[in-house]
Amino acid sequence: MGNKVNEIKRIVQDTKSLPTLPGIVLKISKLAEDDKSSVNEIARLISSDHILSAKVLKLVNSPFYGFSGRVSTISNALILLGVNVIRSLALSSSIFEIMEKSVVGLWEHSFGAAVAANTIAKILQLPDAEEISTAALLHDIGKAIIKIKLEEDYNQLISIIKEKDISMIDAEHEFLGTGHPEIGEWIARTWFLPEKLIEPIACHHNVKKSVIHKTKTAAVHLADILVKASDFGFSGDDIVPRIQTEAWDKLDLNEKILEEIVQETEDRLIEAKNFSLEIQTSGEKQS
Amino acid sequence: MQKIPLALAFEGMILAQEIKNPDNPEGPPLCGKGVVLSSSLIERLNKIGVQSITVEGHPVKIEGEKTLDEELSSLDYRFRKVKDDPSMKILREIYRVQIIKAKN
Repeated sequence: MGNKVNEIKRIVQDTKSLPTLPGIVLKISKLAEDDKSSVNEIARLISSDHILSAKVLKLVNSPFYGFSGRVSTISNALILLGVNVIRSLALSSSIFEIMEKSVVGLWEHSFGAAVAANTIAKILQLPDAEEISTAALLHDIGKAIIKIKLEEDYNQLISIIKEKDISMIDAEHEFLGTGHPEIGEWIARTWFLPEKLIEPIACHHNVKKSVIHKTKTAAVHLADILVKASDFGFSGDDIVPRIQTEAWDKLDLNEKILEEIVQETEDRLIEAKNFSLEIQTSGEKQS
Repeated sequence: MQKIPLALAFEGMILAQEIKNPDNPEGPPLCGKGVVLSSSLIERLNKIGVQSITVEGHPVKIEGEKTLDEELSSLDYRFRKVKDDPSMKILREIYRVQIIKAKN
């Protein structure tokens, strides 16, 4: 089993075998790391790639950030959402391009989680709502990597889930010896994502493990559960997991607040469904 | 009542909820509850950037849409591993109410 884990780690961390990230995305990462670079410089770099700009603006204007249709330039997007979020969007738009085609259900699940996380952050008035949405958008990136890089193992996992009626994460531990949160963490580190995005990715199934960003992790954990409860998208299994006590306490939940969150999330998921359909058929139809 | 994307709205539908201005959700609504949709109104809402509306009844049949009973048993099935957990019972009940409300 140890060998299998090492093999997966090697595959994930071997940048040459990663889904191809455009050179420009890596340049953005470098610029964002450098304290001396300005927002204008980063905006200029993203704007120089029209396709990437269009993708980033499409995500910024998607229902999960709540600016629907009002952000028209990359500089505005950077000011509204911050460099970290835009950098992650540039990265995720490249990854999701592969996901949209290969695992539509997972793309919808991630997308729905981002909508739910944003609603949770707004209703509970948590700081950094946009980063919480982005972390939720990326929370299952480990699953996408398994699907893209280890397709045979992925298919095997799906059979185990059906056969034993267990969750994806249990099947991963049983069959791979590791889980998508760990794999997601490895890839996020390879991409130099900030810790506030890494921790929710790494700990969304075990909130107790999170150290610095427990509130963000708890929000992503709850968002994941809500999209599954709502039957929106498909994350690999159809089992709603328990809200962990650490998350319940950290977010200071009660029945009334939970009801408000569910109601608002359900409303916004209808818009999200339209957006997802639009993205899948984009190119075929002009708005 | 049913929440539908604006693209599926047609003349004669009755608004079950007011329509908020997407540019100013806290401001005065664009359209009140009970208004009957006309094609020019739909066109105007589209131009303003309204994405979805809530209408009376259940006028739009969505392909593969489940009946109320099917929805509720599928909800119970999704919660099958946590049915004895007290906080998950609360959550399942919230969804039950949501599903019933959405179907009426």
